Amino acid sequence: MTSAKDTPARRALGMASMGAGIAGSYLGYALQRAFLGKAEGEARLKSTHTRAARRMRDELQSLRGAAMKIGQTLSLQTGTLPDETLAELATLQMSAPGMHPSLVRVQIKRSLGREPEEIFKSFAPDPFAAASLGQVHHAVARNGKRVAVKIQYPGIRQTIENDFRLIRAVSKPAQASGHIPKTAIDEVEQQILAETDYRREAENIEFFAKQLAPLSFVRIPRVFPEYSSDKVLTMSLMTGRHLEDFLAQRPSQRLRNELGTHLFDLFYFQVLKVEALHADPHWGNYLFNDDASIGLVDFGCAKYLQPESVAYLRSIFLYSGATDSADFRELLEKYYRFQGRKLPAATRRTLISFAENFYRKVYPPGPDQQQPFDFADQTFLQDYLRESKNLFRTKGVMTEYLFMARAEMGMYQTLHRLKARVHTSQIVRKYL
Amino acid sequence: MTASRKPKSKARPPSRKAKPRPAGRRAQSKQAIREGIVKAALSLFQTKGFDATTTKAIARKAGIAEGTVFNYFKSKDDIALHFFEQEVDQAMAAVRDNPRLRKAPLEEKLFTLVHSQLEFLAPYERFIGTALIHALKPASPLGPFSHRAQELRHRYLGFVEELIEESIPKHRHSPLTFLAPEVFWIYYLGALLYWLYDSSEGKQNTLAFLDRSLNIGVSMLKRGRR
Repeated sequence: MTSAKDTPARRALGMASMGAGIAGSYLGYALQRAFLGKAEGEARLKSTHTRAARRMRDELQSLRGAAMKIGQTLSLQTGTLPDETLAELATLQMSAPGMHPSLVRVQIKRSLGREPEEIFKSFAPDPFAAASLGQVHHAVARNGKRVAVKIQYPGIRQTIENDFRLIRAVSKPAQASGHIPKTAIDEVEQQILAETDYRREAENIEFFAKQLAPLSFVRIPRVFPEYSSDKVLTMSLMTGRHLEDFLAQRPSQRLRNELGTHLFDLFYFQVLKVEALHADPHWGNYLFNDDASIGLVDFGCAKYLQPESVAYLRSIFLYSGATDSADFRELLEKYYRFQGRKLPAATRRTLISFAENFYRKVYPPGPDQQQPFDFADQTFLQDYLRESKNLFRTKGVMTEYLFMARAEMGMYQTLHRLKARVHTSQIVRKYL
Repeated sequence: MTASRKPKSKARPPSRKAKPRPAGRRAQSKQAIREGIVKAALSLFQTKGFDATTTKAIARKAGIAEGTVFNYFKSKDDIALHFFEQEVDQAMAAVRDNPRLRKAPLEEKLFTLVHSQLEFLAPYERFIGTALIHALKPASPLGPFSHRAQELRHRYLGFVEELIEESIPKHRHSPLTFLAPEVFWIYYLGALLYWLYDSSEGKQNTLAFLDRSLNIGVSMLKRGRR
C-alpha cells in the first residue's frame, strides 16, 4: 500500500491491514473485497468528481460497516469530501457481507432453534434485499401471510467494537482539537451497537407504529415475535418501490409533490411531536406507493431526543426576529449551556449564518408561505453542506444532532431527487 | 451418519443361505456395543481428560468387561480415532447427501463440510483441545504420521479435491490449485484452533471466520475474475 495521501480513511485502512484479522473487522472485510475485485462498479459517480474525491469515496463506500457509518455521520460536518459526494453519502447503506444459503440456515437454526422449513411454510434461500448488518429473505408464515425475514451476519457486534477501537485511535487528533467531541464517537458507536440487537429493533417498530398512527400515509410493518430473536427479525412484507424504481416510472409532478410533502411532514412530526425519529435515511428504507403513502422499513437506527432539545428546536425553528438580536443569541447560548458547552463567538456566527443562508431560504419565516419551496434546484443542498462544514470548523458539532442531521440531510437529498415542491414552513408550523 | 466398518477379524462374507434377520441383529448389537464404548469413552475424555482416562474406566462406564473393549478397539487412541473417522464421514455425507448443495459454489460446500465437522465435535470441545496436543506427540496413533490417521486424512483431502474438481473447470485452475488439498488441511487445523479459542457468544466469530476466509481462499484457486 502506498502512502501517497495520508487521509484518515487511508490510515484506517493501513492500520486494518496491519492489525485486524480477516474476521475481526469490517475494515478487513473491505480489504478482502478489494482483493476479490468486487469493489468496483458499486459506486454511482457523477462525472464532476475529481479523481482524488472519487478514490476517497470509493474507499468509504467499500468500508461499509462501522467505518462507513461513522464516515457518513461525521463527514457531513467535516468537509473532507466534495459536496455531491457528501449528499450521496447520507443515503448510503451500511451493509454486511452477503451470506450463502447454508450460512443463513445455520444462523436461523442457531437463533430460532429450528430449520427455516420447520418454521415457515416456505422460505426463499436467496435474499431479496440487503439490510443493515444482514440480509432479508422472502418467506410465507404458517398462517399463509407473506413475511420478510431479516437475518444478521454472524459476529457483527464484535467487528463493530473492533472497528471503533481503530476509529478512536485514528480520530485522536480531531478529538484533541475539539472538532469531533469524544461524545460524538460514543454516540455513533452506541447507536450502531444498538442496531445489532433485532429485539430492540422490534421494540422500535412497535413504538413508531403506535406513535405514527395519526399519519395516515405512513405504513409500518408488523413484527412476528414468535419468529424473531436478537439475530432474526420477521416482519410483514411491505409494498412499494424504492426511490430509483419509483422515479423510473416517471411519476407526475403532483405525485412527487405529494410524496415530498408526506416525507417532510413525517420528518417534522417525528422530531417535534414524537421526539424520536427513524434515523437511517438510506433509500432502501423508504418504499413509495402510487397512493402517495410511504412504507418505512428498517428501524434499527432510531434516535430518541431529549425533551429539552426539542423545546430548543421549537424556539429557534421559524424564528421570526432578527438573527443578530440579543434574544436569538440568548437562545443559542442557553442551549449550548444545557449541553454543558460554551458558545464561542465564532461558532455563534456560523450558527447565525446557517440560519440566514439556509433555514431562512428553505423555510421562509413569514406568517403565510405562498409559494412552495422547490427542492429541484440543488443550490439549497450546497448551502446546507457549506454551512455544516463551517459549523464543524468552528467546533459547533452537537453530539445529539449527529443522527438527526444525517436524517435531515437524507431527507433533503430525497426531496431533491423527487424534485418535489413542498410548503415547508406551513408543515413545520403545524407542529410547533 | 454413515455406519462404521466391521472389525476385519470378525467380518464374514455374506452368505445367501443364512437367514438375514439373526445376522442383522447380531451386527446391530455389535454396533450398539461399539457405539456404547465410544460414547462412554468420549464422555470420560471430556470430563476426566484424555490422559487420565483408562480403558478400565471406559469399560465400567459402558457397563461391559474390560476385555470386551479390546474386542472392538486396540486402545483408547483407537477409540478416539474411530470418533474422528465418524466426524469426517458424517461431514462428507452432509455435503454429498444434501440436494441443496448440488449446484452450490465451492465455498458453500467447503463451509458446510467444516461446519458439520465442528458441530460434530462441539459437545467434546475440551477433549478436542487435548487430542490436538496429544496428536503432536511422536508415535501417537492420533498423530499425523500414524498409518490410520494418514488414511483418514487422505480420504478427507481426496473428498476436498473432488469438490474442487467439480466446481472449478480445469482451464480456470490457478497455479495454486494443485496444492489446494494440502493447504486445505492446514486451513482446517487453523479453523479448528480458531474455533477452540473462540469465546464469542455461540461461537459466532467462527462462522464469520469460515465464511470470509473460504471466500478469499476459493477466489485464490480461480484464475481470472468473475
